[in-house]
Amino acid sequence: MNSSNKIKNIGKRIIKSIPFFSSWLKRDSEKMSFTTVFARFQDILELNNQILDLMATISNKLGGDYIFDRNYIESSSHLMADLIAKLISNFNILTHGKYRQLNDVFRKINREIEKELSGKLVIPETDYVIPYSSLTRDFSEVAGGKNSNIAELKNQLGLTVPHGFAITTRAFQSFLEYNNLTEKVNIILHAWRGGDKTTEKASLEIRELIDKGKIPPDIQKAFNWGLDNLKTYSDDKKIGLAVRSSALGEDSEHSFAGQYESFLNIFPEDLGKNYKAVIASTYSASAMEYRLQKDFSDQEVAMSVACQMMINPVASGVIYTLDPVSPERRVLLITGTWGLGAPLVSGRIDGDSFVVLREPGHKILELEIVRKKETLVPSDKGGCVFQSVPNEKQTQATISETQVKFLAETALAIERYFKKPQDIEWCLDKNNQFYILQARQLNIASKISAVINDISSIVHKYPVIFSKKGAIVQKGIALGKVFVVNNEEDLENFPNEGAILVTHQFSPILARVVKQAHGIITDIGSPTGHMASIAREFSVPSIVNTKIATKLLTNGEEITIDAEENVIYRGRIEELSLYEFSHDNIGEYYEYRLLRRILKRITPLNLVDPKANNFNPEGCETFHDITRFIHEKAVKALREVNFYSQRKSDILARKLDSKVPLELMMIDIGGGLKENAGRKKVTEDEILCLPMIEFLKGVDAPGAWDNEPMSVDFGSFMSSMTRTFSTGAASPRAIGQNLAVMSKEYVNISLRLGYHFSMIVAYISEEINNNYAYFRFNGGVTDPVRRGRRAKFIGRTLEKKGFYVDIRKDLMVARIKKISKESLKEKLYLIGKMVSFTRQLDVKMVDDDQIDLFIKKFEELEKLEELEELKKLEVKNTEQA
Amino acid sequence: MDKQDKTSILVLDDEPIVLKRLQPALERAGYTVETFSRSADAFDRVDGKTFDIVITDLKMEGSDGMAFLTHVKKRAPKTEVIVITGFATMDTAKESFKKGVFDFLAKPFKLGELLEAVKKAEARIKADKNA
Repeated sequence: MNSSNKIKNIGKRIIKSIPFFSSWLKRDSEKMSFTTVFARFQDILELNNQILDLMATISNKLGGDYIFDRNYIESSSHLMADLIAKLISNFNILTHGKYRQLNDVFRKINREIEKELSGKLVIPETDYVIPYSSLTRDFSEVAGGKNSNIAELKNQLGLTVPHGFAITTRAFQSFLEYNNLTEKVNIILHAWRGGDKTTEKASLEIRELIDKGKIPPDIQKAFNWGLDNLKTYSDDKKIGLAVRSSALGEDSEHSFAGQYESFLNIFPEDLGKNYKAVIASTYSASAMEYRLQKDFSDQEVAMSVACQMMINPVASGVIYTLDPVSPERRVLLITGTWGLGAPLVSGRIDGDSFVVLREPGHKILELEIVRKKETLVPSDKGGCVFQSVPNEKQTQATISETQVKFLAETALAIERYFKKPQDIEWCLDKNNQFYILQARQLNIASKISAVINDISSIVHKYPVIFSKKGAIVQKGIALGKVFVVNNEEDLENFPNEGAILVTHQFSPILARVVKQAHGIITDIGSPTGHMASIAREFSVPSIVNTKIATKLLTNGEEITIDAEENVIYRGRIEELSLYEFSHDNIGEYYEYRLLRRILKRITPLNLVDPKANNFNPEGCETFHDITRFIHEKAVKALREVNFYSQRKSDILARKLDSKVPLELMMIDIGGGLKENAGRKKVTEDEILCLPMIEFLKGVDAPGAWDNEPMSVDFGSFMSSMTRTFSTGAASPRAIGQNLAVMSKEYVNISLRLGYHFSMIVAYISEEINNNYAYFRFNGGVTDPVRRGRRAKFIGRTLEKKGFYVDIRKDLMVARIKKISKESLKEKLYLIGKMVSFTRQLDVKMVDDDQIDLFIKKFEELEKLEELEELKKLEVKNTEQA
Repeated sequence: MDKQDKTSILVLDDEPIVLKRLQPALERAGYTVETFSRSADAFDRVDGKTFDIVITDLKMEGSDGMAFLTHVKKRAPKTEVIVITGFATMDTAKESFKKGVFDFLAKPFKLGELLEAVKKAEARIKADKNA
């Protein structure tokens, strides 16, 4: 470095150390022309769309229609990472590196994807022990199928399950590492795969190694913590435990039923010993053979274990949500016996059996009460013992008719939630409380496809409500009652037992009920939007953008969504849902599991609510989160750009010469005005900016402006309308002219009319995903209560028109996005009309009744417009005549 | 239908997943199918038997699908070849068609698209036989 540079740098350092200069320096470097800012913003929008498209494209591949290979998984993962990197880089420029942490988040996610691609099982950093209360299916990789399913039933469906905790795969790995077993096990497996060792010998050697291993002190500590937790749920000092396998993939699309060990009623002090026995069973000969046969790689083996509080049941049993032998009967099979269910499951004893209709009402078609001579019960000494059943109970039914129906309802809710027929274990305690002990997939796909061979002739019997409208977001079949959601409050009443969600707009706010929804149909929305990804994540059959769903479907009616062929039928077509269960089980293939694991780091959306605490870079767990965060913040950044300081001499600010006195200055940043437009004054017909054109049409709508709602005299009205605001309450940057920054598709209008301040930001293009409108309205001339009423009037009117509205005191924010060009044009027109109509309405807002009154008045305006249209037509007709 | 009358198909792809998915689908559609993941084995097999249709990947580890399809067309010009590839470019497509390939599908493709291509190839074979 030469000396003059050195001096300059020292100088900079000195200046930076002085607060005033440092901020002054920063300001200078941050100054970007609006054109630059806008170009970055457009790049972000474009990338956002490409990313959502690619997510949908990749997710589609899991649908089963496509043949893809490993090469595809690699190349599309890399393309996705490239797009996200570009998105972040553009965003960092736009926001001056305000959210630089996004880079770290991106790198972390990308590292995990690369690791998956390299064939290693990525075990997330996690605790050794996770209590069921904080476990969801997102943890299935570390907690295994049994644990995460059971916890999900408790935490999501609110069902009663035993208290317990998962001992994670990380504990398994640590155990192997602590005892130096990883390499030793791999050598044995290698020899076995190469044919140098029999399965039996390899199995025995590995199990011996595990049996000799010691539980690491850290893991023992975690066990103790988990057990202390469990004890708080029991009045008894002495608790018994059920320790079961919960391997990765077990209980989901793969049934390793009976492959692994389970131990009932063991003492807490024996947990370590039994834990070792369960993880050793990962390498039982039969489990090893099964994995080989089913194309599981050794890398995918990681055992987690379920540790549950033992229940001493009065009765136990099993539910199949379909008859595996004759699924076409559309019945549930329920069995029950006294005491523990283990001997029933293993087939040692017979149980009572009930054949129950799947249809609501759940009529019992057959019941058989068998003689139950013996029962398995927990023993005081640990473990379980068989006891003989007293004579009078031997031929007594284990559960009542009402209880059978309750179990049927519960089982079908579980089936809907997991979207596959279920094999469920239940028990009943002495307080008449039912517990779900286990829920796993019932694999009967081939059986179903054998019995349903002509689905088309069956569905032809049902009336079609509409078909081929809109786009399928998630394939599948859904049966249920319609529940129409008009606004956020309706979501509160969404039935717990689920329903078909019908709504005007597919919006992130609906995320809360997606999991409960049997299916989703919307009037507007994009198949590549954020919400669509959520529907896919939970595989809720969904059709968007039908235009007419809320008009044709009414609350409470039973319908069937065929989101395979895009048809909505009146009535329940049970055969169709059966048919859905019969589709190929593509989860059998390694590539599908790999793609699914990679997609887990890409598509789930955790940042649903921009108002939530986790809406920050650290809250981003997936690429989708990053994309959503950036989209939201980029729109915000653009909204907040300080136009007044951005005005440079090379950009002309020209005044709009309009019919209504808006006093609006316009800055064109690209294509918003005709090239030959006036340099100082612009007329309305010189405007090319689409959202501006529609907005001005609205301002000028018949009856909106000249509808004089206030009793103040005309002169003061005019002055209040045009004068610049200069009270101390207003922020400095708000003082100035009414200003619009615009391009061909984009507009950002800051407007003061009377005493209220509104901001309108909109982008209208052919690309539905880019489209949005934002309308912010606050201030006023009267007291806060009246201003609040006006905000409510505006909010409620806009809500009816499909906006998502947030009202806080006298501030009203309305948002709408991802709707078609034509629909959005209508919305801008509406906003313009609203701005015009309400400019001093708060004066009139003397009581709450006025809110509804003005909603009515505003609706009358619409009729007036229709009349004007008719008149014009008449004039035209007369002229022609 | 007699087994002899069934259209015979050979599939060569070095990614087992493609074979695992194509075999049952083609069999359900009524074809007899043999699959190979190593091109050396496929070379041997086509020397011993003439297939009606050959479905092959272009770029595979350690071998070149283009060489395989050239060999197939030289030995049995009437065998219709369908190329499936993840590295689809205009050049490879052009070269494939020059060598007499019947159809060219870019991976990933829909199962239905492949079945459609196979059906068309089968129709052409039958038309040629009758001509």
